[in-house]
Amino acid sequence: MAYNQLTMEQKDARLGIKLVAPAVIIIGLLIIYPIFYNIYLSFFDVSMIGDTKFIGLENYKNVIFDPSFWKSVFTTFVYVIATTVLTTLLGLIVAIAMNKEFPLRGLVRSIILLPYVAPVISTVYSWQFFFDPVNGIFTHVMVDVLHIYDQRFNLIADPKYALWVAIVFSMWKAFPFTYLMILSRLQTIDNNLYEAAEIDGAGGIRKFISITIPELYFVLGSIVLLRFIWNFNKFEEVYLLTDNVKVLSVYTYFKAFTGSMALGQGSALVVVQFTLLIGLILVYVKKVLKW
Amino acid sequence: MVNRKNRLAKNFGFFILIMLIVLFCLFPFIQMLSTSLKYSWDWGNPSLIPIEVNTDAYTEILNINTSGEEVVIEIPASVKKLMEDNPDLTEPQKTAILAKYTDTSDVFPFKTYFLNSLKFSLISSLCALTIAIFGAYSISRMKYRGQKIIQRGVLFVYMVGGILLLIPLYKISVTLGLTGSEGGTTLSLVIIYMVQTLPVCLYMLGNSFRSIPFSIEEAAFIEGYTRFQTIVKIIIPLSFGAIATVFSYAFMIAWNEYLFASVFLKSYINMYTLPISLKALFVSKNAIWDRVSAASLLTAIPVIVLFMLVQRFLSGDSTAGGVKE
Repeated sequence: MAYNQLTMEQKDARLGIKLVAPAVIIIGLLIIYPIFYNIYLSFFDVSMIGDTKFIGLENYKNVIFDPSFWKSVFTTFVYVIATTVLTTLLGLIVAIAMNKEFPLRGLVRSIILLPYVAPVISTVYSWQFFFDPVNGIFTHVMVDVLHIYDQRFNLIADPKYALWVAIVFSMWKAFPFTYLMILSRLQTIDNNLYEAAEIDGAGGIRKFISITIPELYFVLGSIVLLRFIWNFNKFEEVYLLTDNVKVLSVYTYFKAFTGSMALGQGSALVVVQFTLLIGLILVYVKKVLKW
Repeated sequence: MVNRKNRLAKNFGFFILIMLIVLFCLFPFIQMLSTSLKYSWDWGNPSLIPIEVNTDAYTEILNINTSGEEVVIEIPASVKKLMEDNPDLTEPQKTAILAKYTDTSDVFPFKTYFLNSLKFSLISSLCALTIAIFGAYSISRMKYRGQKIIQRGVLFVYMVGGILLLIPLYKISVTLGLTGSEGGTTLSLVIIYMVQTLPVCLYMLGNSFRSIPFSIEEAAFIEGYTRFQTIVKIIIPLSFGAIATVFSYAFMIAWNEYLFASVFLKSYINMYTLPISLKALFVSKNAIWDRVSAASLLTAIPVIVLFMLVQRFLSGDSTAGGVKE
């Protein structure tokens, strides 16, 4: 069929496909294909130079029988759950506060966005300095002002505490996004609902539980989902702050790109990580969002 | 009376809450500025105001030569003696030893790194934006088979974080021979940054285009505009705010990227972007808080300025679900 014999709709459809083609091709070649290529690589002993050798499930065996892998899975869960819960709570509190009119609100709005937009690399050193055993204000307050501890210590160097520093840092970095999403939903809640509740004698807390929370249910549900996905794959915010917190992404990075560069094992790790993530998302979407 | 007191207390509590939020957000930045201006003997002082202001960190990083004279590096006498006492040393070995002392490369070339970052971020975000404008228009405004699948596919791509793609993409680049040359490395990194930002751009722009009333476009068609003309003359100007915001996000993602840069640029020191060079600077030396703070602040400024410019377009609606981290 010649081009000029096509109907208007058909021509339009062809144009539509042409317009979206570059995006689809690029995403296909650089995201979809690599996912499958990665699965393929996970069955090989991969080296950068020379041949790769098929070794079956050897990589997976090495991953699963390594206790440090399970430790990393556990760290990831603590990190992801704690950051998701804390970020959402803080975002909610700030959104409710910012929903009120007050002088200089515009300026405060801009300031709140700063942690979110500033590059991770520019903020980590300030946080490290804050917890620095020699110069940091945190140790100064803990040791010299409040006398809670009797000697200065390096919080970030201890994996147990470093995890919590990473969690607070992630909360600081991400809550502005949560707050922005919640605030825009808050502003659409019909004020009549609150007035009607007041007539029925509802107090502040009652109104919050019976109106605000149900109205926010879906936006909170989506925020938690997005935060969960992002933080599950998070690398920079953890690795640049401290290399003591081995969440899965950092664990994989160390396995695949340092020392003996076990790329095949890295691929297997990534497959496990991705499978875990998809599994968790499916459960969440079914149970919480009830899709 | 009681009521008024109550309200005053409430207002005061509210004021404290807002102050705490502001302090929490701002503190790391204030501390960065403060540390960058302090002398090293002042670092342990918990006060944020430097006892004496020191701008050395900035002059060193920005390579501002205040004296205007050529800096002459003295070779220590002990080294000279060592070289004279060891006639076994070959000429190349001697030059190598001398080079260690006369080397000026440990001066942090902030400008080079800044320009590298700018190059990678600008090219990749502009490419992603251009492809995404047409793609997003197609997804949100036109009807054809497969359009719904593409739309959902964009959402799926959100789940794919950088670490999940690092190994296969690196292996592919090595196999294609791209990592062997500076040009090839630049190309791979630009394309990778572009694909990292593309889904975000598609999603956010799609949302924004959908909010433009269809009747405006219909009017344009009646005037005889083609689809292409409509996009360029109607859609793009009408969604200027969204496009500016999306560009800022794309730029920010590339500007902040560490993971891919650290692997791809490992052996090309003069191609380093700011994030990896800052990390390298911090690891390389001791007692470097002032310079790291100054560099951190200077790295943050471009994205902060960009966001202040587009801030008025930022609302939950345009960002809803549409950002990737």
